[in-house]
Amino acid sequence: MSAVSQYVHNIKDTVSTIFEGMAVTASHFMRKPYTVQYPDRMPVRVQDTLPFRYRGILDVDLEICTGCLACERACPIDCIVIVAEKDQQTRQLLLSQFDIDIAKCMYCGLCSEVCPTGSIHHTTEFEGADYSLESLIRRFVQDPVMAYKAKKGPETDPRIAPILNRGMAYLDQWAQPGGEKPPGEEPA
Amino acid sequence: MQTLIQNLIASGVFGKNPPRDLVAAIVVFVMSLVVFLAVALPFGGIVTWVERRVWARIQSRVGPNRVGPQGFLQWLADGIKIICKEDIIPDEADSRLFKMAPYLVMLAFILPWAVMPFSSSLILADLNVGILYMTAVTALTVVGVLMAGWASNNKWSLIGGVRSAAQIVSYEIPAGLSIFPVVLMTGTLSMQGIIRGQGWAPQHWFLFANPFTFVAANILYMSSLAEANRTPFDLPEAESELVAGFATEYSGWRYACFSMAEWGNLFIVGAIITTLFLGGWQFPHVTNNVVAMNVLEVITFTVKVLFLVFVSMWIRATLPRVRIDQLTTACWKYFVPISFVNMIGTAVWVAIWPDGNVAIGYIMFAGAIVLGAVFIQRVIYYLRRSRMEVYLNPTI
Amino acid sequence: MSTLRTEEMTLNMGPQHPSTHGVLRFVVRADGEVMREAIPDVGYLHRSIEKIAEKVGYRGFMPYTDRVDYVCAMFTNQGWGMACEKLAGIEVPKRGEYCRVIAAEFNRIASHLLSVGAMAMDIGAMTPFAHVIREREMINDLIEELCGARLTFNYMRIGGVAWDLPPGWREKALKYLDHFDPILEEYNALISWNKIYVERLANVGVITPAEAINYNLVGPNLRACGIKWDIRKDIPYSVYPEFEFEVPVGNGQWGKLGDSMDRYVVRIREMAESSKILRQALQKIPPGAVLAKVVRNFKPPAGECQIRVESGRGDMGWYLVSDGTGYPWRVHVRTGSFAAMGIIQKLSAGLMIADLVTLIASLDVIAPEIDR
Repeated sequence: MSAVSQYVHNIKDTVSTIFEGMAVTASHFMRKPYTVQYPDRMPVRVQDTLPFRYRGILDVDLEICTGCLACERACPIDCIVIVAEKDQQTRQLLLSQFDIDIAKCMYCGLCSEVCPTGSIHHTTEFEGADYSLESLIRRFVQDPVMAYKAKKGPETDPRIAPILNRGMAYLDQWAQPGGEKPPGEEPA
Repeated sequence: MQTLIQNLIASGVFGKNPPRDLVAAIVVFVMSLVVFLAVALPFGGIVTWVERRVWARIQSRVGPNRVGPQGFLQWLADGIKIICKEDIIPDEADSRLFKMAPYLVMLAFILPWAVMPFSSSLILADLNVGILYMTAVTALTVVGVLMAGWASNNKWSLIGGVRSAAQIVSYEIPAGLSIFPVVLMTGTLSMQGIIRGQGWAPQHWFLFANPFTFVAANILYMSSLAEANRTPFDLPEAESELVAGFATEYSGWRYACFSMAEWGNLFIVGAIITTLFLGGWQFPHVTNNVVAMNVLEVITFTVKVLFLVFVSMWIRATLPRVRIDQLTTACWKYFVPISFVNMIGTAVWVAIWPDGNVAIGYIMFAGAIVLGAVFIQRVIYYLRRSRMEVYLNPTI
Repeated sequence: MSTLRTEEMTLNMGPQHPSTHGVLRFVVRADGEVMREAIPDVGYLHRSIEKIAEKVGYRGFMPYTDRVDYVCAMFTNQGWGMACEKLAGIEVPKRGEYCRVIAAEFNRIASHLLSVGAMAMDIGAMTPFAHVIREREMINDLIEELCGARLTFNYMRIGGVAWDLPPGWREKALKYLDHFDPILEEYNALISWNKIYVERLANVGVITPAEAINYNLVGPNLRACGIKWDIRKDIPYSVYPEFEFEVPVGNGQWGKLGDSMDRYVVRIREMAESSKILRQALQKIPPGAVLAKVVRNFKPPAGECQIRVESGRGDMGWYLVSDGTGYPWRVHVRTGSFAAMGIIQKLSAGLMIADLVTLIASLDVIAPEIDR
């Protein structure tokens, strides 16, 4: 008798669980899909919707680069190549090469963490595909430029001040070792 | 068909005294071409588009919507792409059998269209063994699949082909046995005869005629799904195990033959169930205009078949795959005994009520409506429970 | 009647296959549908990550730990961070530990979701995989706001975490958890209690408790055999003692104890427990710093240390030997998937080929973790 009851139980189980499962899928059929129809059927560009901390392709603001080579040392995969030499006549630090190989970069953020002014930072760009490998080496220095010297007080040059403010705001997102929490975070 | 030919000759389209047999042959030939090229082939393509959109909505995605309005031309683009691909035949494969296998599977897909009852007078050949012919001819797929599996010279394809042969041959039995209750109730095997034995209203359908035919309809549907290699019985082409099963080594238009036969088989499965259990093309007699009635009947038939096709896709999206030993267990231990019980039960029923029992039809129809209401209540429960308002990304 | 001569087939479930989780290879000796033996062949994803550690140093190795197990990147980060901190005697501030636990538990939910969805897809149901990816997308959006990346997070540092919770993040996380709990019920209705699913999973790949311990299994694989061993409870680390949660254990109610269904259900229940931990952590998180002060060129004293972290795949062991310079002498990672590969060969005798796929999926084998 138990074989017969097991048989009937199997049939009942199958039918009832399949019924439940079909109800779940039918409910999903009625819902709005969760797809973002990138890149054309979107109200704004995707790059503008990504958060500020997004670790996209690297970008360098040469106006505020101090030539300290901290990012080159911090990179675990050696994708940053900087040549900064002291010019003999003017005794200024001159940046003659700043290359980042974004094909090698692993978007870890260790370089932007150690930059003192926030000149090397991650953007929200992620569309870097191209047809040639050479174009993936971003060369940020065309003519040799002077490195930036941080001033004692606030920066007064109107061209550089907004860039510096954006760089420092970017750095403020990172946690300060042993210090207070960054501005804007509410207490628990 | 014969009335159509007589009307055409009488209207003088073919001249004064045409030889009847030649005219009949030409008309039938042209109609077969029309049915195949204009109905079967496009259907095989369009149903891929429908399946992808239905699947995508069930999976919270959108599906193809770029090629043509709402992505409607996606199947054309895919078809053109696949026939432009290189036709690769493996070196060690048995090339004659390798080439013949898709043709056999396509043959099993094309032949049933000859007895497809689109309306009361639109049927290519109203054979008096219509349903038997259809069952017999859809079983040709076994030969094609086995050939494909063996001739590919690939162990995985061989496993897929052998599994499929075992599956199709096993599920022929419950499918055939489930046709018997209907034949017992009408006494004829012809498609039009079976449809004329039902009425247009649901309580006159054979689905609700007695509880045995209700169960037989479900068993026939599931066995037909198993014969068409659809989930939950799609072991021969289990994507995650055997890549594409028996069709792994096929590329280009040969693979398109297998694909199209599989999708097109959905229509044939739906047509068999509609004819036998859902009343076919029956529509209430609202006008005396023959052409208008035929059009309404064709629409009724198509709507019923498309609903069953939608249910097949829905089942495919919901259920996982069964293993080969569970499949044969289900067939021989569950489907076959239940089909025998149905057959005997219907025989007793027909002996007691030879003219049918409409009261039971009403009761079972009401029961089906209650079941539908319970289902909708479960769907609404899930819709309310897990709301997708949490779109954290504001671009959606 | 003379016996029919039969032959064994040798099949190759090669490195390119739609259902092995990553790049794995199995040489299967089968008698028709029933297997005699499935011999695993690993090494296709070996990237010498442990050797790279000796070149890049302590700080630079943190992004590499993401790649050891990219599905459970937070746990690997935490393991490496804890190993360096233990060697150098650094203490992580309280809020930093809470941030670590929150990130780790979100990652555990994401990892188990992927395992459940991939198993459903291998068995043949396509929709649970798409639903799981949708849920993971929501978690990825949350973590993207927190640390900037969606898969290889590099969130933790030696001494704490790199970013604090952004403003408004806690509310979003709690809203997500409110949305997530009914979804688990939906998964149960769609797949867990589905009769076909139960038939495919029950009594397949039964592992006895003694076998599990002998073969070094950890995590949900071990707990499914009835053994209650969870590093978070038995060798507590971080702030886990402050949270109330249970450790789900398999009980063999659908088949034998230790079959694939048990492993699957343990994972589903662990997701519910992670959700509980997350709610408590998000309520109780204290104010303060999240990163301890660590010198710029980090040189821990010479010595060795061993750390165990309960990752998505189980007890992940980190073994670090330092010689006093700025570069480690030897790093070794011990992962749960490596042991799971060993037991597949033993369990495969007598299974069908379809069951091999189920077995690999239920043991939640992730290929990069095996080869590193």
